[in-house]
Amino acid sequence: MAAARGRPRGGLERDVLACLAAADRPLSPTEVLAELGGDLAYTTVMTTLSRLHGKGVLTRESAGRGFVYELPVPLREVPASVSANRMRRILDSGDDRAGILARFVSDLSPDDEEVLLRLLSQDPPTRER
Amino acid sequence: MLLLLAAVPLVASACLGLLAPWAGNRLPPGSAVKVLATAAFVTALATGFCLSIVAFNALARIPLIATLGKWSAAAAGLDGTPPPVGGVVLGLAVIGLLLAALRRSARTATDLTHAVLACRRLQELSDGLVLIHDPVPDAFALPGVRGKIVVTTGMLQALTAPERRALIAHEQAHLAHHHQIYIQAAELAAAANPLLYRMPKHVRALAERWADEQAAHDVGDRIVTARALAKAALARTTKPARQPAVALPATDHQMANRVLALTRPRPRPHPRLVSALLGLALISAVSSIWMAHTTETKFEHAQQAYAQTARNSH
Repeated sequence: MAAARGRPRGGLERDVLACLAAADRPLSPTEVLAELGGDLAYTTVMTTLSRLHGKGVLTRESAGRGFVYELPVPLREVPASVSANRMRRILDSGDDRAGILARFVSDLSPDDEEVLLRLLSQDPPTRER
Repeated sequence: MLLLLAAVPLVASACLGLLAPWAGNRLPPGSAVKVLATAAFVTALATGFCLSIVAFNALARIPLIATLGKWSAAAAGLDGTPPPVGGVVLGLAVIGLLLAALRRSARTATDLTHAVLACRRLQELSDGLVLIHDPVPDAFALPGVRGKIVVTTGMLQALTAPERRALIAHEQAHLAHHHQIYIQAAELAAAANPLLYRMPKHVRALAERWADEQAAHDVGDRIVTARALAKAALARTTKPARQPAVALPATDHQMANRVLALTRPRPRPHPRLVSALLGLALISAVSSIWMAHTTETKFEHAQQAYAQTARNSH
């Protein structure tokens, strides 16, 4: 299995947030821990969740003996998301002439699509060690 | 001698342009980006400098200019200096390239300023992470004073937790290693020296590879990173809700190459290749300094010759 490496400072907060954003329901610390996997301690995840709640980034409600956490429901037309979406439109329309924005993945040609599908279907993937 | 020295940066930049794709496949992407962008920038600067010196030498042979500068037109024409008409042509070319470089810098400055302002407006959740509630998978890095990582819920839902970590690590690598600086240096070099016109494309592609390698290193798993890339790319293409944007035809197989590179071992350092590329930059710089020096000496002689004839005619 992959070696557990230290996360950069703040990396865990982002991973926890990404995890909650991907889930469509509130998650308990145990569920977040199960999602994020191996090398983390339960208390670390719980501390991170309550710190994010303390900063007002997350909402929580009590469930059983503990809490479940989720991202607040987004308000429509929040200026922040409007300008984020404007950035995406700039990317799509090719107006980013100086190439300032770096998109995670570029568009695929049909034969590349085939190559990637074939690679993903190799399950379990062959690991080089 | 003069033209020989002036040819050095031209030949060096042509070599650099030809070697870039080959070197990019062999070097670790991080060192490839640094070396290629630096070498391109230096050779472009040296090329412009050398061409201006040749143009100046040729124009100095025009008798009117020689009289104004108080040097002997005949002495200025020594050392294989091209005729004045060559100076005019070269001078115009240098001005054209300089204007192209200035236009390029202005565009970069405007777009970067917009990005920095947008970056400040974006409300982050925490540590530079900006979330967009949208089923269309998308993610990008926005450079700013601290930079932001923008990601849609659609993208996060398409990936597993380790793959999401790879995605965030990839975007973080763009910001942490200041990839923009190298990319813009290559763009500027290409604007100032058309022999390097393909350099920005190579540097951009290599910066993506650099971020991929950094993500694989941070997550500690190359295959998870490869899967994250493949799944994200497929999710973006197959999503029917996506606006049919001005889709650039993806014919360069960049995504397949990036994924395949992660299924192979990490490229090894190649100090000799790095030295060779930096050597091209170094000889360009040396030849332009040498040229400046010989021209200075020549004009000292030409001015002495002028003073001599002036005294003799009295």
